[in-house]
Amino acid sequence: MRKIGIYGKGGIGKSTTTQNLTAALAHFYDKNVMIHGCDPKADATRIILGGMGQATVLDVLREEGEENVTLDKVVKTGFGGIRCVESGGPEPGVGCAGRGVITAINLMEELGGYPDELDFLFFDVLGDVVCGGFAMPVREGKAEEIYVVASGEMMALYAANNICKGMAKYAQRTGVRIGGIICNSRKVDKEQDIIEEFCEKLGTQMIMFIPRDNIVQKAEFNKQTVVEFDPEHEQAQAYKELARRIMENDNFVIPKPLSMPELEELVVKYGIV
Amino acid sequence: MPVVQLKCNLCIPERNKHTIVVDEDKSTLPKCNAPTVPGDLTERGCAYAGARGVVGGPVVDVIQMVHAPVGCAYYTWGSRRHLGDGYNWAMPGVLENEANHRRHCYCTDMQEKDVVFGGMDKLKKALLDAFEINKGAKGAFIYTTCTTALIGDDVGLVAKEVSKEVGKPVFACSAPGFCGVSQSKGHHEFNFQFYKWLMKLREEHPEVCLKEEDKTPYDINLIGEYNIDWDLLPVKPLFEKIGIRVLTAFTGNAYLDDLLRLPDAKLNVVHCQRSATYIAELIKQGFDVPYSRVSFFGIQQTAKALRETAAFFGDEAMMKKAEEVIQEELDAVTPALDWYRERLKGKKLAIYVGGPRVWHWIKAMEDLGMEVVACLTTFGHTDDYQKIVERVKPGTLVIDNPNEFEIEEMIEKTQPDLFLTGLKEKYLVRKFGVATLNSHSYECGPYSGFRGLVNFARDIYQAVAAPVWKIAQEEF
Repeated sequence: MRKIGIYGKGGIGKSTTTQNLTAALAHFYDKNVMIHGCDPKADATRIILGGMGQATVLDVLREEGEENVTLDKVVKTGFGGIRCVESGGPEPGVGCAGRGVITAINLMEELGGYPDELDFLFFDVLGDVVCGGFAMPVREGKAEEIYVVASGEMMALYAANNICKGMAKYAQRTGVRIGGIICNSRKVDKEQDIIEEFCEKLGTQMIMFIPRDNIVQKAEFNKQTVVEFDPEHEQAQAYKELARRIMENDNFVIPKPLSMPELEELVVKYGIV
Repeated sequence: MPVVQLKCNLCIPERNKHTIVVDEDKSTLPKCNAPTVPGDLTERGCAYAGARGVVGGPVVDVIQMVHAPVGCAYYTWGSRRHLGDGYNWAMPGVLENEANHRRHCYCTDMQEKDVVFGGMDKLKKALLDAFEINKGAKGAFIYTTCTTALIGDDVGLVAKEVSKEVGKPVFACSAPGFCGVSQSKGHHEFNFQFYKWLMKLREEHPEVCLKEEDKTPYDINLIGEYNIDWDLLPVKPLFEKIGIRVLTAFTGNAYLDDLLRLPDAKLNVVHCQRSATYIAELIKQGFDVPYSRVSFFGIQQTAKALRETAAFFGDEAMMKKAEEVIQEELDAVTPALDWYRERLKGKKLAIYVGGPRVWHWIKAMEDLGMEVVACLTTFGHTDDYQKIVERVKPGTLVIDNPNEFEIEEMIEKTQPDLFLTGLKEKYLVRKFGVATLNSHSYECGPYSGFRGLVNFARDIYQAVAAPVWKIAQEEF
């Protein structure tokens, strides 16, 4: 089983990318896949499950107590046989979302919720949690490879660089490695160039440039991934290609995050500011 | 060389600065109020313990709400007897519960799910429930702890909401355990936050202030007097006898309505000068109410406190009356004290309590003819150690924030006949054949004032003269 963490700035398209990627893995390559959404918003599995509202691990914990959390209640199967579980968590501004990530993953492990027959287990993690909960999916025995979703926008680069700082720290102790940056295009000028140079400086690769296409939104509107909505569409093919590259990826590194001046220089060079 | 190298500290040299022998010119003080060194099994408490256990806890008619996992509410019920004169939860035949000091503790019992989703709703419900079952409560104090401070529960907001709903004042004290190096930071936090809250409350509800016509020129507060084992009893009447009115103590046997009038006094008389000088200073700055530092332990110090307080008011009749009262008290206690002094004279003792009581008691023990050979505090600051070092003989051992090994070595080194200490240390120390006294909550107090010293002397005599020490010597 390959355990993969997907990180990235809020709103960058982590969940959309993860779901299309997992859909491609299941649909085109017949892989046995599971997604664990670690965002309190619990929206990381929506289009795999066809918009099905799902009881989150923490909802059940809160309402029925820890002893009543069972896999039946929290794991749902959607498109392509993909198993989906959502941590859930507090509304913004109260409680501790980071602790929620830790609690939910611990509970899933205790329940044996990540079966051995899986080919891929994805943790979809919000990059904005900056406490210990952020690192839960990369602790020993959990996600071993990380992909960061970014775009050519300045703030996305900052966030990606920051996530790499965290990963570089944890990599020394847990063996977690960066597998690459997924560029989810925002149609920024010279986007591919800036990401490629950014990746080179980080010591990793841009594993895929995913073009921007409204079909993604259209499919989402229909509560589906592009892979399910229109598998022949070139956007679905792009996700298929991403899936293939991830399956075949053997470029795993400890990232070398950029200093602020380096990052600013890069941004200035490509004239984004 | 003032710094002593204890054998137990050879492998933890950072502790050496905390252990000194008082030198001839008394120039060296131990390092203090510093973070605990890893490897040092400290006996310190946390800031929250200081805020609730010491300062807020004794208030008798407020709901004491601990916003925490239930472990933080340990050591509440059944600890420290005689906190106040309200009903006690443990009194037989009393159905209504009017005593809401720290012995009657409420806790939100935060669980995993509450931590993840936030505990504000649970806290609010707990407070409303507590007010529902305790209609006599005049308000509530909420204490945040490590857990609830970390997740950022807005306890101040809940306090406001509940206060509005029940129409009673609610004070939120934020002194999470991690906010300082010892319980001392909790005292500090409580003082500052309570004062700030009090100012706002008095501004919004001027009716809680003492009315002009109810004031007298001789109103004082006893600040930092926590009524341990009814310590107020031998002290408060002394002031009353000379014509001074004690508005309230901060916070021994204190009622919330009286506490709200703290700034309306003419003078604040500060007893525990570690945990409560802060609020006296704030009141001085804000209301121009001066404060004096006193001790109510021992005859010398109690007499001095009474004389100085009378002198502050500059009233000849009062000063004369003070002398009469002092004489009256001395007449009453001298025969008993003489009897004990005869038997205790020359005995050596070591003192280990939180902070100021160490230097208060050095003087009190002089009254009994005893000699202090070692002084230890859990959380004393520089000013406490200055007073300690000033008051003891050169050669006295002083240890800041001692651990069990250091206490053991102190006993071996200084060979005291008596150790004034807490309950944790007594088993260790008694094995050395050294008598101990529960000095945190007392054996059978009160120990303060003139008459309290007789109790103190009696308990010391009973401890030191117990036949067990002789038998133990013969047996082994």
